[in-house]
This record gives sequence, structure tokens and C-alpha cells, in this order.
Amino acid sequence: MNTSKRWLPHTLKIALLTLLLLWTLIPIIWMVLSSFKSNDIITAGTPRVFFTPTLEHYTSLFSSGNSLWPYLLNSLFIAGVSTLIAVVLGCMAGFGLSRIRIKGKQHLAFWIISTRMAPIAAVIVPLYLLFRYLYLLDTHAGLIVAYLSFNLPFAIWLMTAFFDDLPPDLEEAAMIDGATKLQAFRYVVLPLMTPGLVTTAILCFIFAWNDYAFAQTFSGPSTQTIPIAAAQLLTQTGIDWGKLLAIGTIVVCPMAIAGLLVKRWLVQGLTLGAVK
Amino acid sequence: MMSPALFLLALITLVPFFSIIWMSFNDVSLMGGLAFEFSGLDNWQRVFTDPDIRSSWLISLVYFLATVGLEMVIGTVMALLVYSLTRGSNIIISLLLIPMFIAPVIVGLLGRFMLDPSHGLYAWLLNESGLFDGNILGSVGSAMVAVILMDVWEWTPLVALIVLAGLASVPEDTLEAAEMDGAKYGQKLLYIILPSISNILLVALLIRAMDAIRFFAIIFITTNGGPADSTKIIPIRLYDIAFRFFDLGYAAAVGITMLVFSIMVATAFTKLLKRQETSS
Amino acid sequence: MTQFKRRDILKGMGGLASLSLMGAGPLRTALAQGMASDEAWKQASGTTIQFISENTPPTTAIAANLASFQELTGITVNITEMQLGALVQKVALDFGAGRSAFDVIYADPYQVLAPYHRGLVDLNTFINDDQQLVVPQGIEDFIPSQLAAAGRFKDSESLYTLPYDCPTMIWIYRRDLFEKYHDQMQQDLGFDPTPSDSTTWEQYYQIAEWFSQGNASEVQYGTGHQAQQYDSLMCDFSNVLFAYGGDYFANGQQVGLLGTDSPGACQLTSEPALEAARFYQKLLKVAHPGSTSWDWTGVANAFQNGEFAMMPEWHEFAGSLESSQLQGKIGYAPLPKGPARSANLWGGTGIGINANASAEKQKAAWLFLVWATSPQTQLMGLRSEVGGGTPTRQSVYDMPEVKAASTPPTDMPNMLTADTMLTAWQDDHIGLRPKIAQWNEVDTVIFTELSKMLAGQMSPEETMQSAKQRIDRIVGA
Repeated sequence: MNTSKRWLPHTLKIALLTLLLLWTLIPIIWMVLSSFKSNDIITAGTPRVFFTPTLEHYTSLFSSGNSLWPYLLNSLFIAGVSTLIAVVLGCMAGFGLSRIRIKGKQHLAFWIISTRMAPIAAVIVPLYLLFRYLYLLDTHAGLIVAYLSFNLPFAIWLMTAFFDDLPPDLEEAAMIDGATKLQAFRYVVLPLMTPGLVTTAILCFIFAWNDYAFAQTFSGPSTQTIPIAAAQLLTQTGIDWGKLLAIGTIVVCPMAIAGLLVKRWLVQGLTLGAVK
Repeated sequence: MMSPALFLLALITLVPFFSIIWMSFNDVSLMGGLAFEFSGLDNWQRVFTDPDIRSSWLISLVYFLATVGLEMVIGTVMALLVYSLTRGSNIIISLLLIPMFIAPVIVGLLGRFMLDPSHGLYAWLLNESGLFDGNILGSVGSAMVAVILMDVWEWTPLVALIVLAGLASVPEDTLEAAEMDGAKYGQKLLYIILPSISNILLVALLIRAMDAIRFFAIIFITTNGGPADSTKIIPIRLYDIAFRFFDLGYAAAVGITMLVFSIMVATAFTKLLKRQETSS
Repeated sequence: MTQFKRRDILKGMGGLASLSLMGAGPLRTALAQGMASDEAWKQASGTTIQFISENTPPTTAIAANLASFQELTGITVNITEMQLGALVQKVALDFGAGRSAFDVIYADPYQVLAPYHRGLVDLNTFINDDQQLVVPQGIEDFIPSQLAAAGRFKDSESLYTLPYDCPTMIWIYRRDLFEKYHDQMQQDLGFDPTPSDSTTWEQYYQIAEWFSQGNASEVQYGTGHQAQQYDSLMCDFSNVLFAYGGDYFANGQQVGLLGTDSPGACQLTSEPALEAARFYQKLLKVAHPGSTSWDWTGVANAFQNGEFAMMPEWHEFAGSLESSQLQGKIGYAPLPKGPARSANLWGGTGIGINANASAEKQKAAWLFLVWATSPQTQLMGLRSEVGGGTPTRQSVYDMPEVKAASTPPTDMPNMLTADTMLTAWQDDHIGLRPKIAQWNEVDTVIFTELSKMLAGQMSPEETMQSAKQRIDRIVGA
């Protein structure tokens, strides 16, 4: 990292970086700030930076009438479980696909990732009917399965790339020493894969957490997620900006913190996995 | 080791896939249960002759090239900048990554909030500074620019992240040697850095390209294709056909063309990736 | 024979009795005494029903008051609210799967009733059945144009929904500014600018232009519109179209009132329609530029911020406008007239019962339908702090406290529009868009082509021609 210091004229570097930070952060800062304004200040003609803050949007979000808690919990649970399954299955499949020596391997890998390219609006109707007959509508399981339809191929694809990067010598050495393939996998290969696993998990989680189309179609009263909560604020008589900004703020903060914590793993993971 | 995953994947992808192929050859109605009326190539004929579909594809291509292009360029620049920081890179990265954690629906609404002619911050700033006087989301041209920029705002961090990971593998010694030979930044960039991260760049490109064709939440919630159909990318038209007109057979046909296009694009990029691999 | 007596009491004295009890006592008592005996209400006790609705003021008010319904009937109601587009999608998918996830459906006449009327129960089976709870005041109490527009399709016998809400477009304007500048305007324009039933659209245009020329310091523009490329644009344009004597299809009022399967050829290229399109383009040129990105909420918000002096807008926004800084400064009138008439677009909806639901649930749903559209509930909605719409029943408008509330100061801000509304709902004033199964597609064509016209990409003639071609293809004319 040492030679990188004098790559760019320092001032240009700082200027560009500041620009990028402003570009990224102004909307977020404005969103957080405005979430503490009352609705009439929010929609006033001239934007105001100084005002008397109020917690009314936050309190109304968690009031008994239509509390945000179920949405939050649903989102966390559904995205979390879907991610877990995707990563576990993707890991196993990725290992298998990476190590296997068959002729159509490239085609298989390509078919797997191409399933993630399906246009959402087209596949919703058959999926809806499928879920209907399987009694999966308005269930957490249903949405988890729906998210797997795009997270699983993605996880398999990514994990295959990570495993491709890891030479088979290590597990072969372990097997020569007497371990079974499964033991070799569990004790030798997997620990080395942690960055890759975390990377895959985070990306899968993001895609599941952010989804609106599937959530809106397959959910029912008991399985509503955060994007639906946001969309519900578009009522016939107006957008409840205050509540919306509050929801945005609530969503952003933990995500940002989480991003900070796992950033180390993330970068490492993508390094290992992406360089082929 | 692969079978449970592949089985599940097969079920939830093959069933819809074959369904939409079948639906594209039928006139589908929903009343009283799904009903099919075989219509042969009618839907397919429409897909290739409908002027609305053609104009949507054009707009989609513009949207695709602009968003993916800008995200790749700005993302790479972002990654290079952060990589060259000696202190505080942790915090800066975390801050720059925030947008990609926000659901596209909320990003779209936030965009509307900032650009609203009555109370939007950006609208007000543009107005006061005399840069743009009109109605951003309501004027042809500026609406497209606005939705492109919202998409760029959300997904550039993803590209930056991936590129940043790749930068960690740039060979230090080659760089040092070049520096001692008096190479300037531009030359180092062009001849050493970019080639060694070219694989990463293609991975980022592939990941974004796959989604850039099908994601429509941002446009849906901001302009819904308007004004004057200027932001009506193909996935939005698909949604209209499927869920506002309930012409499901036709929607299936449009959906299949989108899938084919994605596969072609992905194949092209993958071939590029393979070629880079063998050459480096 | 007990049923017979119940019905008599209801139609005759019960109605009056209930009304006089309005002011006193808990709602439940009033309901119980006024409508029928407890027995009738408890017929389906213990069931749970699902109600899917657009997130609209009456539903918000009802949701806040569900406890009283539960107490009265023992029925649990789960309400799911969402945007109209999402609702249509879910309802259609539900019908497609042939089961019934939702028992009571907010049946938008154009997007749900027209295409899916076969999925709704014909309510006459409940109305004519002596065993079932009777509609208080009878269905004749519903304003006739609304009952037909919301509840019927194709024939004037079957009834699929009971009118639930009734937003209608009217002329909303800054009365304070009109009063302040009255004399000056009269002098400059040559006519009395005060909205009346003789004001024409041409005069509206001139008033708008007058404001846009900077004659008033309070507002920058005269008029604002909901001209976003969206349903709102079609609504805004329809007022002008009908006023000029144009229409989307031949026999427009019938097609709008009862609906049809085959509307025939599109009439948008008739001379009156072309006139209307030309005028609309002219009007939007002097309107606030934000109009092309506003739907009905955007334009209301801008009006509230004092950006222009008047707008055609849904009357239900009176509630929120009157609780803003503009309280007391707003005037309401029917929309101006064109060469043909004054047209005020109606956008109401009814609620109906899913035909796929079990008999048990249908009974419970019927009870909910009756309660939700009863005079008492509609009155409660008017008073509600959280929402509430405007009543769809004549009897509510005749109530003394409602009449009193139609002049300020009032605790029912929506009632300030009462006089305007009752005029707007008359058969010759109401504007009705075509009730056909393909309405969504036709609507999309209309607002897309109009949006192009407003963006300057096509002339009015080209726009109407292009729209007609596409619409003819859609309806198979």
C-alpha cells in the first residue's frame, strides 16, 4: 500500500473524494434530518435546516395501530433464513461444481446463473399459482423459497468461483492422510472459505432484503416486509413523507454499521473469489 | 454434494420457465381459474411488430448503457481513490457503501423527495442557482437523467466494492519497478493496474448487467414510465402488460425476449472474461 | 313473521329513531336500536373475514373503529390496505387461483368490477332474502348515479357492490385571493371571476392567465393540474372532454354508468373531442410547470404551499387542505362548463363480496357491507380524525348536524363541499369514464398519448388520432 500514496496529486484526490462523499451522503443526511421534522415543515416550499425536531414519526411507526416491528422482524427473518439456505446449499453445490470433472460443466454453470436473469413480472404468475397449490402464500416459507429462486443461483455461481480459486491440493492432502471427503471439506476447506461465505451471505441478504416485487405478490397480512411498509405510505391522499423518511433512516443505520463491521471480510472475500 | 441445491433450484426455476413458454403461445385469462386458449404465434408476432415494445427496448438500451457505463467508471474511480488512502479508508468505505443497502423502492421515493418541484432539496437548489428551472421528473429528458442518476447512486458502491477487492491483488513489485523507472500515474494506471484487475471489472460488469435489464423498481416508483413514455423501459411495459392489462400470454412472450437478451449479453461478457483469462 | 315486522320497523320508524339518537349514546346502542335487533347482527358470530382495500380515507376511519363492529356482530375483520395497482394485482391473481383469500373486496368499478364482475356476488340475493339483514333506509338511499356507477355492470338489475366512497373532481380555489382581487379581475377580464354555474372553461383559462401574469403577489401561477403520465391525467382531461361534448365512446353516459362489453369505436376524433384536446393543451401551457409531474396528491400539496390559485381536484382533499395554513381561505364550486355542460369526474368505488367465499363467510361479509355503508358509519367517518370520506347516502346529507357542518366553522371539513357535491352528482353534471373490461389498457393509451401532447411531441389532432387507433384495436372495434 506504500507506493499508492503518491499516485495522484493530493488535492485532486481530496477534491474527487469529497465530491463522491457529498454525492453519496447528501441525500442520506437530508433524509435522516428530515425524519425529525413535522410533516408541514417537510413539505414546505423552502427547505429548512434549522427547526424544532420531533419524534412523532418514529413514535407513530411503532404505535400499536400499524407498528413497524412485524415488518422489520419479517424482513430480517425471511431474508436471513433465505440467505442461510442459499449459502449452505450454494457452498455445497459450488464445491461440487468446482471439483467435478464433467464435459458440460461450463454449460451447467451458465444455466445456473441464467436462472437468475428471469424477468420478474413474467415469472410471477406461474410462481403465484405454484405457491397457491402448495399453500405457500402468506407464509414465511413461501417468500423464503421465492428469494431462493434468485439467491441460490447467485450463491452457487459465486461459491464456485471461490472454490475454483482454491487449489484442490489441500483437501487431497488431507484425504491422503486418511480423512473422508466430507471431513476434508469441513475441517480443511471450509475455514479457508470464510471470507467467501461472508461475501456471498451479505450480497444474498441485500438482494432478499431489498426485494419488493415478490414480497408484494406472495405476502399476506402476516408476512409483510419493509419495502411493502414503505410502499403502503403511498396512500390515495398523499405520501406520508415523515414516516417514509423515518423508515429509511431506520433501515439505513443498522445496515451501515453492519457494513462497517464486516467490511474487512468482504474485501478479502471478493479478492479471493473474483480473481480467477 | 450438489444435488439438494440443484433439485430445489430446478423446481423453482423450471416450472415458471416452462409455464411462460406455454403461456406465450396462448391467450391466457384469469377469471375463474387460469384458462388457456391456444393462439399459436399471435403473441410472438405482436412482440416483434409492436412499436411500443420497440421504443421500450430502445429506451432500455439507453438506460442500460448509461447506468452500467457510469457505474463502472465512477465505481472504478471510487475504488482507486479509496485504495490510495492511507488513513480513514474504513470509515470512508462504509459511508460510500450505504446506498446499496437501501431498498430500490425507498431510493426511488427518496429521489422523488429530493426532486419534488414543491419541496425537494435538489429541485430547490437547481432552481435557486438558475441551473434548471423546470420540473425534473415531469419533463422529457430530465426525467431520464434523474432516474439514471438514482440508479447510479444506488449501485455504484457495489461496483466500487468489487473493484476494491481486485485492487488488493495488483502486483506491488511491478508497480514499484515502474515507479522507479519514472512512470507517471496515467501510465501506471493504463498498463499495470487496469490489466491486472480486468477480470474483476468483468465480474462487476456481469453482476450489474444481469440486474440492469430487469430491475425497474426505481423508475416504477418515480415516473412509472413517463413523461410521454420517455422512461418506459421494457420491464415496466412488461409489468403493465402482465398486471394492468392482464394479457398474460403476451407478457410471457415479452418476458422470454428479455431473458434471451440477458443470456446473450451474459454470454458475450463471459466469453470476454474467458479470453482475458487466457491472455493474462 | 318476525322478520316482516323487523323490516317494517326499519324502513319506517327505525330510521328516524336512529337518527335522533345520533347525538347521544355510544355508537353501538344507536346502531342496535336503529337498525335491527341484535339477533340479526349476530348471525355470523365467530367468523373471521378478510377485507382488501385501497389505502383510502373511509377505510382508515373504519379500521380505527372496527372494535364496535366486532362487539356488535362477533365477527373479526382483518383489513389489508394497499395501493390500487397492487390491490388489482392481488385480486386478479386471487380470482385466477379460484380461491378466496379476500371476502370483502374494494371493487374499483373500472379495474375490478368491469373485468371481474363474475367474481362478485349479486347482492340482490341478500337484499331480497328475508333472512338477511336489511340495508338501512334501503338501497334507494344511495345517491342514484353512484349506486349504478359503483354497483352495476351492463344491466340495471344486478348489483355487485354498495357505494363506499365517492371522490369527485371539483373546482377548488383560493377564495381569499378571488375576493381580494375581485374588482381588479372583473375590470381586466370583463366578467365576474367568482366561480358560479355559468363560468366557462374559457373563462377559467383567462383567470388562470391573469394570475400567471403576476397580477397577484401571493401566487405565481393561476392553475395547477394533476397531469402526470398516469391515471390522474386522464381524469383531469376527462372533465374538459365531457364539458365540450366529447366522449371516449358513443353513448358515453350509459357506457359510464352501467358499462358494457362492447363499447364500439372510439370517439376521440370527433370535432368536440378535438376542441377539448386543443383547449386542454392551451390550458396546460399557462399552468404551473410542475403539473406534468403531479398526480392528485402532488397538486394538492403544491396548492397548499400557495403555488397557484386554483385547480380541478378531488373534493376529498378538502379535509387535509382545511387543516393546513389555508384553512378558511378555500372555495369550492362545480367545474366550469364547456359548450355542452359542466362535467365533474366521479371516482368512487363500492365494496362487494367475493363469490368464491364460503356461504358462511359471505353472510358475515354481507353484515360488514351493510355496516360499513350504513348512515351511522358514514357519519362517523365524517367526524373521524384519522380519515373518513364523504357519504354516499342522501340521508346523511339531510341530517341536521351535517347540514350545519357545511358552513364554517366545522368539525367535518369535507362537508364544506356538500352543496357543490350534491350538484356535481346530478345526472347532467356527473362525469363518468367508460366502464369496460379493457379500461386499464385504454386508460394507459389515453394518458400516454396526452402526455406526449403536453410534452409538445404531437399536436392535439395527432394525439386524438393516435389514441383512437390504439383504443380501437384494444376494444376490437
